[in-house]
Amino acid sequence: MGDIGALSSFLVSAVGLAVPLVLAALGETVSERAGVINIGLEGSVIWGALGGALGALAAGPYAGLAAGALAGGMAALLFAVFAVWLNTNQIITGTAVTIGSLGFTGAVFQSRFGVTGLALELPTVPAWEVPLLSRIPALGPAFFDQAVTVYLAYALVPVLGWFLFRSRWGLVLRAVGESPDAAHASGVPVARTRMLAVVFAGLMAGVAGAHLSLVHTGTFAENMSAGKGFIAIAVVVLGRWSPKGVVAAALFFGGAEALQFALQAVDADLPYPLFLALPYVLSLAALAGWFGRARAPEGLALPWPR
Amino acid sequence: MRHHLPATTTLALAAILACSTDREATDTTTPGVALLTPGPVSDAGWNAGAYEGLQRIGDSLGLRISHQQTLTPAEFDEAFISYADDGYGLIFGHGFEYQDAASRVAAEYPEVTFVVSGGSRPSANVVALIFQLNEASYLAGMAAGAVTQSGVVGMVGGVEIPTAKGTFVAFEAGVKAVREDATVLETFIGSWDNVSAAKEAAAAQLREGADVLIHNVDAASFGFFQSVREARERGRVAWAFGMNRDQNDVAPDVIVGSAAIDYTGMFLRTAQAWRDGTLGEPVYSGLATGTVEFLPNPAREGLIPADALERIDRARQAIIAGTLEVPSIDFIEKEDPVSSQ
Repeated sequence: MGDIGALSSFLVSAVGLAVPLVLAALGETVSERAGVINIGLEGSVIWGALGGALGALAAGPYAGLAAGALAGGMAALLFAVFAVWLNTNQIITGTAVTIGSLGFTGAVFQSRFGVTGLALELPTVPAWEVPLLSRIPALGPAFFDQAVTVYLAYALVPVLGWFLFRSRWGLVLRAVGESPDAAHASGVPVARTRMLAVVFAGLMAGVAGAHLSLVHTGTFAENMSAGKGFIAIAVVVLGRWSPKGVVAAALFFGGAEALQFALQAVDADLPYPLFLALPYVLSLAALAGWFGRARAPEGLALPWPR
Repeated sequence: MRHHLPATTTLALAAILACSTDREATDTTTPGVALLTPGPVSDAGWNAGAYEGLQRIGDSLGLRISHQQTLTPAEFDEAFISYADDGYGLIFGHGFEYQDAASRVAAEYPEVTFVVSGGSRPSANVVALIFQLNEASYLAGMAAGAVTQSGVVGMVGGVEIPTAKGTFVAFEAGVKAVREDATVLETFIGSWDNVSAAKEAAAAQLREGADVLIHNVDAASFGFFQSVREARERGRVAWAFGMNRDQNDVAPDVIVGSAAIDYTGMFLRTAQAWRDGTLGEPVYSGLATGTVEFLPNPAREGLIPADALERIDRARQAIIAGTLEVPSIDFIEKEDPVSSQ
């Protein structure tokens, strides 16, 4: 295999690992811009993975994607009912949703496929080759010969960028996140806006989970979300609450993970835990402001009305 | 903040209800046997095998049984204590990682017997269950050495603990016993369940030219097998080995064979010895006791050449006879260095 071939398959790995993070983090960006941090995102991802698997087995991979999105959205709705409507503590509620989701999805999986499990072979979402672009050496196969979920991620970056920073609705949403009292005073329905933002993030995390089971691995296992929902939250911080930044941060995380596998495969003596920790260390650095100003929405994680 | 407490409590309760135990109604007259696993038992591997072993104990000995999955090390002590308080007399902690918690709790509950799979510090009421899986891994390595065309063989592991590392050093030695010039790659993904990481780790080794891969992960093996399957679909030569439990039927199309533990036999024997009051010394299980074995995949008969199978069988006899020593990572500490606390 030539250098271009090796680089190309490395990029395929990096993009494969990054896309679930991109999808979940883009959704979470909208939610956090509206002032809600949803630690239950991890729960939405695992529900998306299981919903995707069950939907795909019942009615094909595209139905699976829809079912995954819906399942992730439902988990987020549960979170929103408590954290937004009933004003419970966002962190505690999100943690409960995540733990409960990991348990419930496991119970569903075991009751459907046997307690000791089996390696499902799921119908996967086919890749669509973009004419011409997919022929670009090295970059083509990784970026332009992918499943619809990947193109969805591409499309959402400019769309969400426009929505958040150029549209009236985006302004309203950010007002809710920065200063819910002021937004309320000017007649914005704060709770409803936050609910919608959280459910949108849940739908996206559901697609991320369905991508895991139906695009990336073609199988399902309990706990297969493996912290991706949590990492997505770190990605939002590293990407400084902007869609463009979030994509760059997610690609960095995916690339770092793919790189450490590539390095380990060449030289077994590398201290692999250091590589596993690297992305988190950088997130901390980003929070500490080493990569420029990182400011969270003013009203983030605060209950409203107080 | 009006509804803060009740709502959060309800959610937390739902979470607790959802995440574990299939504990039956307490009936303290029948002796009870409990099992803690570090991951979901739906992994068709390490944890599934232990769960089957526990079921066998219930079916064959008529003992009360219960299983719980622990999510984080913080829960280990708590889970041991709650079982001990509920009158379970024999508690399995299925993994090297349970040793410290078992030692701590065992000091408080001298009448309860704690069994740690791959345990490193046996004491009066802490018994180590030692799976000499490295012996079967060595034989699997010999098979891999015979099957590989590229001469590059890969190993994908979860966390670098001695029990997992031991199977890899033995596997590598087995490969090189058959094919001296072979290159053996090793990757740890830092998790037992991370399916996509296992998939990409295997993909990275396949890119480096590996055409035969073994794993030592749990549920993540589903992604590992999928990676090998996809490589085959792209027209590559690629084979996989099963590990821990007989996984030949988990991915019959890609598996050469499995380095397997007979958990049901091991767990049953351990529980019998406990009931008869003869449990004490570490329980060893290897090729000699017939509870660890290398099992070629019957669905892929003929894949391992006949002469290699003969060599493997000769090596098996030599290991049982004690004339061939398989490399291992020794992790039994003879004396507890930090006396119990």
